[in-house]
Amino acid sequence: MIRRLVLWLDDRLGAASFARRALRKAFPDHWAFMLGEVALYSYILLVLTGVFLTFFYTASGEDVVYQGSYAPLRGVRMSAAYASVLRISFEVRSGLVMRQIHHWAALVFVAAIVAHAMRVFFTGAFRRPRELNWLIGTSLVLLAMAAGFTGYSMPDDLLSGTGIRIAYSVLLSIPVVGTWAAYLFFGGEFPAPVTIGRLLALHIMLLQGLILAALGLHLAIIWHQKHTQFRAPGRTEDTVTGSPLWPNYAMKSAGLGLAVFAVLSALGGLVQINPVWLYGPYDPTTVTSPAQPDWYIGWLEGALRLFPNWEIRAFGHAVPEPFFPGVLVPGFLVAVYALWPFIEQRVTGDREVHHLLDRARDAPRRSAVGVATLTFVVLLTIAGSNDVLARFFGVTVESITILLRGVVLAAPVVAGWATYTVCRELKAREAHPAPMWHEVHRGPGGGYVTTEEHGE
Amino acid sequence: MKWPQGAAAAAAVLTATGLFAAVRAPAAQTPALSPPATAPAPSGDIMRGGDLFALHCASCHGAVGQGSGDGISLRGVGAAAVDFALSTGRMPLANPHQPMVRRASTWTRRDIDDISAFVTWLAPGGPPVPTVDPASGDIARGQKLFAANCAPCHGTAGQGAAVGEGADAPDLYEATPVEIAEAVRIGPDPMPRFDSTTISPDDLNSLVRYVVSLRTPVDRGGFNMGHVGPVAEGFVAWIAGLGAIVVIIRLIGTTT
Amino acid sequence: MDRRPRGDRRDHPSDRNHHVIGTERRIAALFILSILGSLALVAVYATGGQPQLEGVLLAVSLGTLGAAVIVWALRLLPDEQVTDVREPEPSPPAVRAAATSALERGEAELTGRRTLGRLLLGALAALALVMFFPIRSLGPRPGRSMFHTEWEPDAFVVDRTGRRVRAGDLVTGSVVTAFPEGHVGSPVSQTLLIRVEPALLRLPPDRAAWAPEGYVAFSKVCTHAGCPVGLYRAAAHQLLCPCHQSTFDVLRGAVPIFGPTTRALPQLPLRIDADGFLRATGDFSAPVGPGFWELSRGRTSGRQDLRPG
Repeated sequence: MIRRLVLWLDDRLGAASFARRALRKAFPDHWAFMLGEVALYSYILLVLTGVFLTFFYTASGEDVVYQGSYAPLRGVRMSAAYASVLRISFEVRSGLVMRQIHHWAALVFVAAIVAHAMRVFFTGAFRRPRELNWLIGTSLVLLAMAAGFTGYSMPDDLLSGTGIRIAYSVLLSIPVVGTWAAYLFFGGEFPAPVTIGRLLALHIMLLQGLILAALGLHLAIIWHQKHTQFRAPGRTEDTVTGSPLWPNYAMKSAGLGLAVFAVLSALGGLVQINPVWLYGPYDPTTVTSPAQPDWYIGWLEGALRLFPNWEIRAFGHAVPEPFFPGVLVPGFLVAVYALWPFIEQRVTGDREVHHLLDRARDAPRRSAVGVATLTFVVLLTIAGSNDVLARFFGVTVESITILLRGVVLAAPVVAGWATYTVCRELKAREAHPAPMWHEVHRGPGGGYVTTEEHGE
Repeated sequence: MKWPQGAAAAAAVLTATGLFAAVRAPAAQTPALSPPATAPAPSGDIMRGGDLFALHCASCHGAVGQGSGDGISLRGVGAAAVDFALSTGRMPLANPHQPMVRRASTWTRRDIDDISAFVTWLAPGGPPVPTVDPASGDIARGQKLFAANCAPCHGTAGQGAAVGEGADAPDLYEATPVEIAEAVRIGPDPMPRFDSTTISPDDLNSLVRYVVSLRTPVDRGGFNMGHVGPVAEGFVAWIAGLGAIVVIIRLIGTTT
Repeated sequence: MDRRPRGDRRDHPSDRNHHVIGTERRIAALFILSILGSLALVAVYATGGQPQLEGVLLAVSLGTLGAAVIVWALRLLPDEQVTDVREPEPSPPAVRAAATSALERGEAELTGRRTLGRLLLGALAALALVMFFPIRSLGPRPGRSMFHTEWEPDAFVVDRTGRRVRAGDLVTGSVVTAFPEGHVGSPVSQTLLIRVEPALLRLPPDRAAWAPEGYVAFSKVCTHAGCPVGLYRAAAHQLLCPCHQSTFDVLRGAVPIFGPTTRALPQLPLRIDADGFLRATGDFSAPVGPGFWELSRGRTSGRQDLRPG
């Protein structure tokens, strides 16, 4: 039956010649190459559950009085958006599980992208001819974070609304154009009634369009250039070996997709996430503790918490405090991240085509920079929950903050240097394997002398 | 030292009256409220309370509650404060520099009433033990009051949070209605306090009703992870979510 | 998952070995479990739904199906490897030459007629500029609202219910959120009203009269990133913002003592009128909320002067 379909398509599109090569295309099987797919399948689940949620969500900041089935909030004034999310959580059948799967999928989506990006970085897969795909990948990780942030702000609850307030203030802090940027983006002085509608337009339309376009390009380039692979006996820069697309790889991938859906469904049903009914509707005159964003925004939050109260002036103006930790430092990191393939080419002078991957130890400087940057970002993320940690460990918030201010600068240096040293050491050992055992005997003077060394 | 029984009884009555005068506030533009619910006059045995005080409290708070380097002055602190500190086990403190947190209380109700009577006899004043009737409260009004006044420190689910300088706003899951009301009225360090013009007795009933309802929150979504929020969710996403998936892809894929 | 020798795929009973039969049975069992899970899910949904059951049953249906497919792919399919040859990315020189000459034909046309080419660019640039203008429609111009709140001289101080606050209403150690009368709930005018022991105050000399009977009032909007400064450690007289832990000393005028902010919370001047009501005597001492570029200069493009306070 499938054969008839393919022939039907070939009559109209000449599909057979494509199918002939495509179905036998080689896909390397290494497990680390599947991280990108995990992100892809998480995204598919996000779209499926997201479409469902769109049918029930009201993107309006207008005040309504809640009369639904969640008793503690009955009679309370709230935005129509928040009320619609309460309705999804308590009255729409399977609404809550859809909401929770959607949110868990978002957290795992960004986690998978980060893991995938780390794999690509440490194996040097971004090198020529894949610099373009690295740039597209950078845009994808940023789009994913933006989609997540707008997404969890849509319920207009007390916790996420506080995050929106902070985002507004960070925009405001930009020199010269900050007030205009904030007013135009949010639709007026905070809180502007139109902001919620804009979150919807961004989250379900603009960002998804950009993600789909970038994703399409990303996959098309991988398809065309063929996947990289690790070094092994018999592998060269000119060939790629792996499972054929049909039926082997397609089945494994489909199975993986189903497994990803299963894990996210289990989380969606068993572990509560973002219980907005407990946070209450957003009220700009109150706040809750502790106040954290979703994990992938944590590094920005940590930077805002750690940055000391330095008054920094420029051109006769005091630069607002959030600008440095909220815009400048992240902007610099993102720029270096995006341009890394070109930076590395400039520094190493290596402009060759590479289809075989490095192990981390094969590029000690790259690995050191990667580990150092990762350490920095992870420590910032930890700093974003300094009050939660202080409570957990029984120390003061202030002491953790002050400690982290120093650690966040020192630890990356130490970690980077340690990585460099370990990589060099491992490489040196490979080149000159240490002998497995020595034969010694007592010399004439009484000391021990090595007479023979035996390798493996 | 012994105190004459009659003088003790007279002092008790005077204390009760004095407390009334101190606590009652002029009604402003609100419709006339009924006077604050009559607090029962401290009914404890002042003499026995004095003995207990001398044994357990005077070493830090002074022989007549005047305070010392190790403990605040208890003069005019009120029956609610004594009742709160003792019934939640915050007092006695083995070490005066320990934080005051809830502990298992070893006092009996009789002990607490006696010490309370003694302390309020020493110097009248301060909030009496409030009378609360959570059942007459309105839970939605309670939610509003809680969100406005309590959630910033105690969290919207009453799970507690660090409030800086080593201070902690505890979780509210073990507090009884009277303890909640006492804390609101006395403001135990580091809490601010809210008297009956700020939070009226009716509002206090609603607030207490809401706080008690937080013990059984609606966790319709599943395991609540202590209501810590996105921090816990992030850990779970990486460890249980991506972690489980990585285990699966290692089974599916090769290692070469 | 170790790869046991796979058996023959031909569906010929006499050629099958035990491994294949066992594996096929396991896969079949997984498929059946998946079907059962799906049926159970339908039943749960039809009877009203329940989040935990929905999630678990969905996980069972999907997971067993996925496991079945994976086991099938790994254990029943022949473990085939194919090799593709990588063509070098750059096209052969002849093709590149043909492509560049095809491009050049069009280029020559543009660069040949220089004036027209330049005018074309000019027209496109002008159009691009015009296309950006609708962005201006997205929001109002930032103006006076950045520098003013709804507090005015003689405004009554009211609580969240709109009730006017009297001098006797708060006890020391108490804090309420207050607003100017008629603007309850205003995000920009939200105010912390705190009562302290008057003797403890250490306000700047020019603000000594701003705190009658120990009442002090500060903007509740944090000067760092705008969160409401909702936490008050009464005994220490310190305000804490939960977002990034900016801490303010109330007794000295809410000056920052820890955390990332550099500016004190603006203070509202208070007085107690003849009837005992609390009133403001003007707007806050400085613009409220987080910093912005024009703050140090005193005007945004809205061209409004910094209001003296």
